[in-house]
Amino acid sequence: MAVCPLYRHTRREEMVARGKLALFAADLERPAGEPLPTFHRHAIDHCLLCHSCEANCPKGVKITDLVIAAREEIAREAGLPPGKRLFFALLGGKIPGLARMLKFGALFQGLAWRRIPQSSGLRRRLPFPLTDDHTVIPRLPRRQLADFLRARKPADSGPPVIFFPGCAISYLFPEIGRATIRVLERLGFTVLVPKFVCCGTAARAAGDRNTADNLQHQNHELLAALPLGAPVITACATCGHALMRYDLGGRRAVDISVFLMEHRARLETLLAGRTLDLDVTCHDPCHLRKGQGVIREPRELLDLITGNRFRDLAHPELCCGSGGTFGVTHRELSRTIQAEKIAEITATGATVAASGCPGCLIQLREGLTNAGTAITAEHPVVLLDRLLG
Amino acid sequence: MPDITAITAELHAAGIDADRVITDRTAMTCYGYDATRQSRPPLLVVLPQSTVEVAAALKTAAAHRLPVFTRGAGSGMSGGTIPTGAGMVLSLTMMTRVLELDLENFMVTVEPGIITKELQEAVAAHGLWYPPDPASLAFSTLGGNVAENAGGPCAVKYGVTGEYVRGLEVVLADGTVITTGNKCVKSVSGYDLTRLFVGSEGTLGVITKILLRLLPPPAARRTQLLAFADMGTAAETITAMFRRRLVPATIEFLDHHSIAAIRQELPFALPPAARALLLVEIDGEPETVDRDAERLRELVAPTAIAVITAADERERDTLWQARRALSPAIARIAPHKLNEDIAVPRASIPAIIARIDAIAAEVELPIVCFGHAGDGNIHVNVMLDKTDPGQAERGERAVAEIFRATVGLGGTLSGEHGIGNTKSAFLPLEWDAPTIATMRAVKLALDPENRLNPGKIFPPDFHDHIS
Repeated sequence: MAVCPLYRHTRREEMVARGKLALFAADLERPAGEPLPTFHRHAIDHCLLCHSCEANCPKGVKITDLVIAAREEIAREAGLPPGKRLFFALLGGKIPGLARMLKFGALFQGLAWRRIPQSSGLRRRLPFPLTDDHTVIPRLPRRQLADFLRARKPADSGPPVIFFPGCAISYLFPEIGRATIRVLERLGFTVLVPKFVCCGTAARAAGDRNTADNLQHQNHELLAALPLGAPVITACATCGHALMRYDLGGRRAVDISVFLMEHRARLETLLAGRTLDLDVTCHDPCHLRKGQGVIREPRELLDLITGNRFRDLAHPELCCGSGGTFGVTHRELSRTIQAEKIAEITATGATVAASGCPGCLIQLREGLTNAGTAITAEHPVVLLDRLLG
Repeated sequence: MPDITAITAELHAAGIDADRVITDRTAMTCYGYDATRQSRPPLLVVLPQSTVEVAAALKTAAAHRLPVFTRGAGSGMSGGTIPTGAGMVLSLTMMTRVLELDLENFMVTVEPGIITKELQEAVAAHGLWYPPDPASLAFSTLGGNVAENAGGPCAVKYGVTGEYVRGLEVVLADGTVITTGNKCVKSVSGYDLTRLFVGSEGTLGVITKILLRLLPPPAARRTQLLAFADMGTAAETITAMFRRRLVPATIEFLDHHSIAAIRQELPFALPPAARALLLVEIDGEPETVDRDAERLRELVAPTAIAVITAADERERDTLWQARRALSPAIARIAPHKLNEDIAVPRASIPAIIARIDAIAAEVELPIVCFGHAGDGNIHVNVMLDKTDPGQAERGERAVAEIFRATVGLGGTLSGEHGIGNTKSAFLPLEWDAPTIATMRAVKLALDPENRLNPGKIFPPDFHDHIS
């Protein structure tokens, strides 16, 4: 209750874990065949799956698993909305050509969306569904991560590491993937990037378990062919969190910030005292801080990059309100949460807000753009790559 | 049977939107519980956003003769918010505004749904301090704090919620809005109605605005953890501190059961022989804080087996987190607990601790004690398995015995949780018949139909008598 971002802004008991548990208990009494009341549907729908309640639960109740199970139940009863169905069919590879479609989109996005000066985002020209005049979406890159991977000559002398880029980095933010690979190679690692598919979180969160399990299975098969001792590195908090439920064959999954801090001495040698001349703050992605328990390392990394000019937020643990598709389906509430986050970022006086999650970056960039500030939002590894030159 | 359709129509007509009136039977389950694990769904739930809406809801309830149960975050420990009958729950959680921050007079006016910690942060941003610190401050609401007159660790030096409440806006049972108190430090015109409503547990009216006094925050503080080989020595140390005129902001104590429950979470190792801990915080100007911390070290040197000083804010936070996590942590000792929050005059702490030890031996159940020893307020947890009839009976006997011992020492049934419906049967143990009759006269003068939070505070026969 103290930590639920939705409760913070709605003050309604059905938003918090305790209320949802009471509703689930009441549901068990519901006669078979009687449809779920709208109130319950609404309550189950209203969860960012941010794990804040779980991270603070003294009894270790897995509330997000229960919410996901409830969503699976609803999806089974009523089916998924058509938009989500199409989206997961694309992610799950049932409809081929997601990468090509997005590339095609990159060519023509200028017709419907206009660029925003001093931002890497786009605003709509036409009244698209699910958007409004304040919606800022990332510009689709013409060159996706796959194009970069094809062009690169992988080093093959150092110890191997596996990079799991995930959809957002592959298709929307290839620069994060590129930076991750370059930094790891500079540290002397051989970076293996097999053709992983989506980690499955988006489908799982919506209650589409089949698609999620299927994706996980495909990734398991790709992993089977890779060296056993190599850690699986993620630069997307959500993918990293999803990998926690994977069978990695004894390998460990590790966020890039943690991995870099484990190799801090070598990184310091590489940097040779160079720093970026800027003040930086950090928004903790829920799937990193609460999902993976990573809090210290991104701060240490940012301090290293800027020469101890990291400034913490007043409430770094608060969700940014993105919550995957929550920001699209519950725009008003998501924007309220976003506004609070942006105000805290502005109050730090930093010029860059770092965050290790593409979803958070989209949400932060939209908020920062709408607030009219010059503060930018970046992935920490992109800052590091820029510093390394 | 009340006409739900007519009631909701009246509420909508008064401007309360449909999504703030809940009538779905199962949906209401999440507005019918609190921290006592009791749960009873009401007839309907209303989430007002203003005094006008609260007044409209109370008028509607009056017209339909509905009982009204006011609630905040539902973190109460005595069942104060549990709907004891088919009535209207008023959840004030959406009334969260800071209405005025008066920096000249050190006063703030807030709505009752603001969370205690949010209020503290809001005034801290302007260099002011709201001291009361109930363990639930990260989620409990100020309205609930005032209604139960909640306290916290810093009560030793700074007192409880009621000592900061200077005025209220209250909606009475028939929907009339009244105002009490003002910003004057000295104010003696008429009855002190503010004091009457503080701690009235929602039985006299619905609080819709709260005027609070604030303090400048202390410049420095020092947090020390003192370990002792036995509880008696720890208890004696507390009285010795005051005898030396040493007044810390807080003195929390933990018995050996509590220590076992949180040992893992402490940032440093404790001596294995430690069977009692005191968490002492001294605050004030940097010079006096250092001097007092030194005096404390000298005082406990002969008796304590370890003295640990928190090196920085982070260590202090960890200590406090461990202390706040105690209540859930001890749940591992037994499936159920009967938890009471008795208080005795602080000079009687050694006596009550000794008596509770004896009671635990008599009933053969673990009794975990921790809490705010500096102000004599002790959380007594009788740990048991309620499904075992023998344990259940012995547990009830232990609680009755503890209450008797407490009252015998000039103590009280509840230091900060309130009576609610969990302790109402014991009220005559503490107050004689004429005193309870006086309370009853006040209650009936303001709520003649006994519709405001019925079933609370007064012993069960009172409510039978009314209905």
